[in-house]
Amino acid sequence: MAHHSTQVSSDLIWEISRNQNSYLVKRAQSGGIQFSRDPLNLTNVHSRKNAGFVNDKAVGVAPATDGGVTLITKKVKHPQRPASHTHTTTLSGKKSTRKTYKTIASNTAKSGYRPDLRASAIARASAIRKSQKEPKDLPESKPRGAKAKKAAAEKEE
Amino acid sequence: MASRPTVTILKADGSASGATHPLPKVFNSPIRPDIVQTVHTGVAKNKRQPYAVSEKAGHQTSAESWGTGRAVARIPRVSGGGTHRAGQAAFGNMCRSGRMFAPTKVWRKWHQKINLGQKRFATVSALAASSVPALLLARGHQVSTVPEVPLVINSEVFSGAAIAKTSAALGLLKSIGASSDIDKVKKSRKLRAGKGKLRGRRHRQRRGPLVVYDPEVDGKELNLAFRNIAGVETSSVFALNLLQLAPGGHLGRFIIWTSAAFKALDIIYGSSTTPSALKKDFLLPSPIVHQADVGRLINSSEIQNVIRAAKGFSKTKRAGVQKKNPLHNKQVLLRLNPYAAGYSKDKIGTKGLGAGKPERAKGTQFAKVIKED
Repeated sequence: MAHHSTQVSSDLIWEISRNQNSYLVKRAQSGGIQFSRDPLNLTNVHSRKNAGFVNDKAVGVAPATDGGVTLITKKVKHPQRPASHTHTTTLSGKKSTRKTYKTIASNTAKSGYRPDLRASAIARASAIRKSQKEPKDLPESKPRGAKAKKAAAEKEE
Repeated sequence: MASRPTVTILKADGSASGATHPLPKVFNSPIRPDIVQTVHTGVAKNKRQPYAVSEKAGHQTSAESWGTGRAVARIPRVSGGGTHRAGQAAFGNMCRSGRMFAPTKVWRKWHQKINLGQKRFATVSALAASSVPALLLARGHQVSTVPEVPLVINSEVFSGAAIAKTSAALGLLKSIGASSDIDKVKKSRKLRAGKGKLRGRRHRQRRGPLVVYDPEVDGKELNLAFRNIAGVETSSVFALNLLQLAPGGHLGRFIIWTSAAFKALDIIYGSSTTPSALKKDFLLPSPIVHQADVGRLINSSEIQNVIRAAKGFSKTKRAGVQKKNPLHNKQVLLRLNPYAAGYSKDKIGTKGLGAGKPERAKGTQFAKVIKED
């Protein structure tokens, strides 16, 4: 069941909003590149496939507060009820990343919800998990040659 | 269509009151951004006030051209002497203190006539778009906390001037989940760039929800309650304005309806078969296609039953695949040269032409034939 009105389809919404919408970021640089700020857009690219607010089914992956990721999917049944329109699952940061990816894949692709978004959903989750890691310290410098060693020793003093 | 869709009527706390109302027919009107945009550009011009520069500006001097022969340009020059102004060029748009090019006139064509049919079409189109949550989000309204779109509040909430104070109005907006849209407006308030600051347009801000009411049932006190909340506008359902329904010509204004106003919509606009009670000679525009979902049309049994089977083979040529070198890739080689399998199995490539030395011709039949006299 789509909207109240049979006049409204995703295709129409896309044609109305593709040139301007509140999520769209247009820049003159890089040949007029266009991005999207839609939370239900996995790649942040402004396109029909990735536009979460347009499609009846869409997937969003966002960082969670505890260091994990939050998986958001749209419910198909009641598009007219925005408050109860999304389904949110938090995947803990204590889980291994593989398990996180598996959950995402089974919830989005394997269940037949949006199989085309599997790769980008997992890539986004992976990027978020990687960003949540504490960065490693820089390796200690190993000065080579007498002069460099002498300079390093002087610096330490 | 099976049954006509209904809309829940909400109580003051944002929960369902149990009462519902069938969706007014206006919301099934075709959504046409092209018509809305052209009508909006016209309507937006109709509130302009004439302005012009003074008729006398740049001409309040008795300048005359010096003519030719004085080795200066023939532009009129200020006559007399005794000041620096004397002898300076005047009048021309390229001159200092000259008149502007094509001085603006108060009799410019400020206002635009838009055909009534187009204005009505644009209004119903904007109303239809206001019932699509995706378009509200695309316009930038924060509606993800709103229980339902279109959002209808029971008129009992407003009855007896119950919402006459801004605090009551704010409480109502909060309980129906519209507070995030109000917060967005509040945060967006910025000082305007340019001279507009001096001309009564000091700040610019986003638009919030539009509260549409029926003045006969809901009273007008709610105007006073809502008017000091940034971004919130109120409008009588009998005087809906395209400038408020589609600000900037962009579809999808967030509208909060009172139930009385919502019920009045069917009277005001009628349907595509029964004419409107209040608008003369008006039928709702009927859509050109009844099902706008192309995917659903293609996959419908009516179409799937009559289309012929797809042409071609199950194995089609794949475009854009990487070329493999058959000299390195065995499988590709076998596809091109079936003989290659036996060739490599019998190791024909490593075999010499024959084993050992060649046979001498001396005792053979060949020698005999050659030597025969």
